[in-house]
Amino acid sequence: MNLEISALKYLDEIKNENFTVEEFISKTIEHIKKIDGNLHAFLSINEKAIQQAKEIDRKIKSKEKIGKCMGMPLSIKDNICVKDTKTTCASKMLEDFISPYDATVIKNLKSEDAIIIGKTNLDEFAMGLTTEFSAFGPSKNPWNTDYVPGGSSGGSAVSVSALECIASLGSDTGGSVRNPASFCSTVGFKPTYGLISRYGLISYSNSIEQIGPLTRTVEDTAFLLNIIAGQDPMDNTTIDNKGENYLKNLDAGIDGKKIGVISEMTKNVDKEVSSATKNAIVQFEKLGAKIEEISLDMIDYSVASYYTITATEAGSNLARYDNLRYGYDFDLEGYEFNSYISKARKNFGPEVTRRMILGGFVPSAGHAGKYFLKALKVKNKLTAEINEAFTKVDLLISPTVPILPFKFGEKIDDPVALFLIDFNTVTANLTGKPAISVPFEISNGLPIGIQIHANTLQDKLVLQAAHALEKTTNLPGVSI
Amino acid sequence: MVKIGLEIHCQLTKLESKLFCPCKADYRSFEPNTNICPVCIGLPGSLPRLNQKAIEKGTLISLALNCKIPEKISFFRKNYFYPDLPKNYQITQFDAYGHTSIGNNGKITIEGKEIRITRIQLEEDPGRLIYEGTSEKNKITLVDYNRAGTPLVEVVTEPDFENPKQVRVFMNILVDLLENLGVSEPSLEGAVRADGNVSIEGGNKVEIKNVGSFHDLEKAVHFEITRQQSLVERGIPIELETRQWDDRRKITVSARSKEEEQDYRYFLEGDIPWILLDPKYVDQFKQNMPESIASKRDRYIEQFKIPAQVADVLSSDKFYSDLFELAHNEKNAKEVANIITTDLMGFVDTKEKRQQSKLTSKHLSDLANAIINNTITRNSSKSALQEIVKTGKSLNEIITELDLGHVSDEFELSAVIEKVINEESIAVKEIKEKPETVNFLVGKVMKKTKGKADPSLTLELLKKKLKIY
Amino acid sequence: MVSKEEIERVAKLMRIEVDDHVVHIDRVQKMIEYFDILDKAGIESEELIVQEQTIENLREDKYVPYEEKLIEKLKNYKGTFVRAPKLI
Ligand SMILES: [Zn+2]
Repeated sequence: MNLEISALKYLDEIKNENFTVEEFISKTIEHIKKIDGNLHAFLSINEKAIQQAKEIDRKIKSKEKIGKCMGMPLSIKDNICVKDTKTTCASKMLEDFISPYDATVIKNLKSEDAIIIGKTNLDEFAMGLTTEFSAFGPSKNPWNTDYVPGGSSGGSAVSVSALECIASLGSDTGGSVRNPASFCSTVGFKPTYGLISRYGLISYSNSIEQIGPLTRTVEDTAFLLNIIAGQDPMDNTTIDNKGENYLKNLDAGIDGKKIGVISEMTKNVDKEVSSATKNAIVQFEKLGAKIEEISLDMIDYSVASYYTITATEAGSNLARYDNLRYGYDFDLEGYEFNSYISKARKNFGPEVTRRMILGGFVPSAGHAGKYFLKALKVKNKLTAEINEAFTKVDLLISPTVPILPFKFGEKIDDPVALFLIDFNTVTANLTGKPAISVPFEISNGLPIGIQIHANTLQDKLVLQAAHALEKTTNLPGVSI
Repeated sequence: MVKIGLEIHCQLTKLESKLFCPCKADYRSFEPNTNICPVCIGLPGSLPRLNQKAIEKGTLISLALNCKIPEKISFFRKNYFYPDLPKNYQITQFDAYGHTSIGNNGKITIEGKEIRITRIQLEEDPGRLIYEGTSEKNKITLVDYNRAGTPLVEVVTEPDFENPKQVRVFMNILVDLLENLGVSEPSLEGAVRADGNVSIEGGNKVEIKNVGSFHDLEKAVHFEITRQQSLVERGIPIELETRQWDDRRKITVSARSKEEEQDYRYFLEGDIPWILLDPKYVDQFKQNMPESIASKRDRYIEQFKIPAQVADVLSSDKFYSDLFELAHNEKNAKEVANIITTDLMGFVDTKEKRQQSKLTSKHLSDLANAIINNTITRNSSKSALQEIVKTGKSLNEIITELDLGHVSDEFELSAVIEKVINEESIAVKEIKEKPETVNFLVGKVMKKTKGKADPSLTLELLKKKLKIY
Repeated sequence: MVSKEEIERVAKLMRIEVDDHVVHIDRVQKMIEYFDILDKAGIESEELIVQEQTIENLREDKYVPYEEKLIEKLKNYKGTFVRAPKLI
């Protein structure tokens, strides 16, 4: 039994009775126990996984109706609520928080008989892109454990690439799914804003973020989308996808499609990344696409706009953590309200604290016009520019991250250097467009991903292009 | 010159569910913290789900106050920390990017004075704080979130009031209007709360908060004007400040100075996309608007010749006007109005009594018709009404049971009259000199018949018997 | 320039006790300076584009009690209230 299989392959194996769900889950847990002490992809493991596997095996045996996931082990970023399990956001602030309800995506997955194998590590409240800001210690890149796995959904990416699960759900606010996917050589998808319900995703910057899958193959992403995408009455911002089947015609190819290469996103990039991008363009041409260069002026302001908006929204979204209704153990005896919550909120880590200060500073009465409104306007103009671009081309591509994975500690002290790592990913969030990162090369043992965008609700087109590009590669798995 | 502006918070108690979740809008009958869900308690990951009907009610109120309704409305976050605020921000409306609140630029005329309505906005109510413990030292703060998320409409006026009386008149009109629109029951405790701001010539604006009942608003405003005037007389400048209304002492006291100016960091609520209010949708509301109190009043006077005072009472109370509308016809309208405003009001003067009342509009029209047709005297009708309110039995049943039917049978009545003439021989003797004594005898007959005797027939028979013409 | 006082004021506004303001000043300063490039974007005339929905999309006004006794899953005081620190 090989743990290195795609979701669709897993379903075949189960259907053909090559192994049972229990066997696969047991082996997965064994594997996690063996390697996760070092990699630290997980913050918690589902203790009932084997019991759940047995129940699904029983259903299969007795030919009862069985959900589409047939017991496949999925990991979930620890900022998505799973009922009766800890949901910590990798923060001391929520160290003891047990969610009393399931996020909509979790409800959907459970009803299709997926097994939530565990909750994965992240930068605290998803603020970061290395997992170095996790209050419980960073995850390590399985390709080279001296290197960061990317973030903030770093634990999710590590768990998929290190075979600790079949696939994972992360969240993407400015690249938090695509960035670690690129650094760990997995597929990572940020859908159109509103395609997947955010109900139960703990908000960081709610107007731009989405839940997204991290998988071994593009096909697996399509498979998961079929389960988790679509309008949800629990989330007013979800949109109607007309019951799209993302697996159908996934291999349609991109012959005759027009692809724009975003020039701003290919300018200041590592030379290995640049060369990989050129190779990808060659592959796309071979697949029959027409390539042209596209420039979007507003991209130069996108990161400043992104951090202004996210700081403002985060400042408000994280206000509820006052430790009164839930949180961690800290007696309130003898404290006055403001001094109590100010002390309780000291449990936020340094990065969250800084973003809170930023989030108080930027929208405060004196500065509201100066920063926030400008940031919104950049967002609007960037959206207008990208909409205009999509009248000329079908797809827009770039490297997912301008640089190769880097070592721990290398960038942590330079906030602006960290900002710029997001340069290629924030545009999809600010404009609400779907974007995917596809593993494309391994350069000196470090993965490089290619990013593909399409217009609003053209999520399937993104997957079709990614699927076509994926087939041109033959990348090794990670050796653990 | 005195300038007074108001901010009135009114709960939309006629809604079934809260503003952003399906918990019950009327939290009053619940044990503490049993009317809560992940949304209204602000659990991590929960999202607001806007109540469709709240938009409708907000539109109705805006139209009734002659406001403009924008084509798109949006919600904002007002950020501040307080234990009764589960998310530590309140979802409300704000006009940062043009007019995006449910209503703006309205007006209402009171006693010939035009009061401009700045803005009407939808927002969520916070929870409630409860203090337990006796002494200051062992006092603890407890929070009940049952109220958190209850739909509120805030009506903000320009500082157009010139005296406390105008404030009272306005509040009465507003409260009647909210009830008449079927959006709120202002009589419920805490359903209508108001803050005010008061400034006098040359002084700073002073906000008055925490006026628990709108009845006290007039008092609070009055107190504040007097306080400010006495400061000016003594040459003390009036500070820009917020003062709390002390409900027990009936005075305003300076709210502990806030070290920093409140900075609410208002910004757009991204969890609720802007809502398109199609002008066609708004027009539909205009057409289906319940009739205004003023128009109802005029109609009652015009159409049924009901006296203005009676029409006032009838039109301003939705409970009465609804009954009237269902019970009346061209012929009995005046009588129905009469029954409601003279007798019924005494029987259903509280909310509980109204809820317990078994009276239907059918009862009311039967009763009015019975009076008109002389099958019951006005005197007996009151007892019948009381019985109906209590039991809900039909008028006929009650007339039989309580023996309230009119005695218009000559033979039966003559026997009673005979008896009275025998008993009241002194009065009978006087009748030649003082003809009005006959009324005394009529009264005696009425008493003996428990008010059932037909008064005109009794008079006629008495006169015949005593041979006075 | 962001001053120590300003950081202190904002930290207070956001209800976070900060021990060492100096550590944060430098980083917050760098971040805010970076935001100043927004001034060069030339977007003054831009209009706001927003996500929109129609009224039909909104939740029907129906009372649905929550299926669980949620207070028992929160920090609670004798199973009925949430306790808060003193208010001055
Ligand atoms: Zn609720």
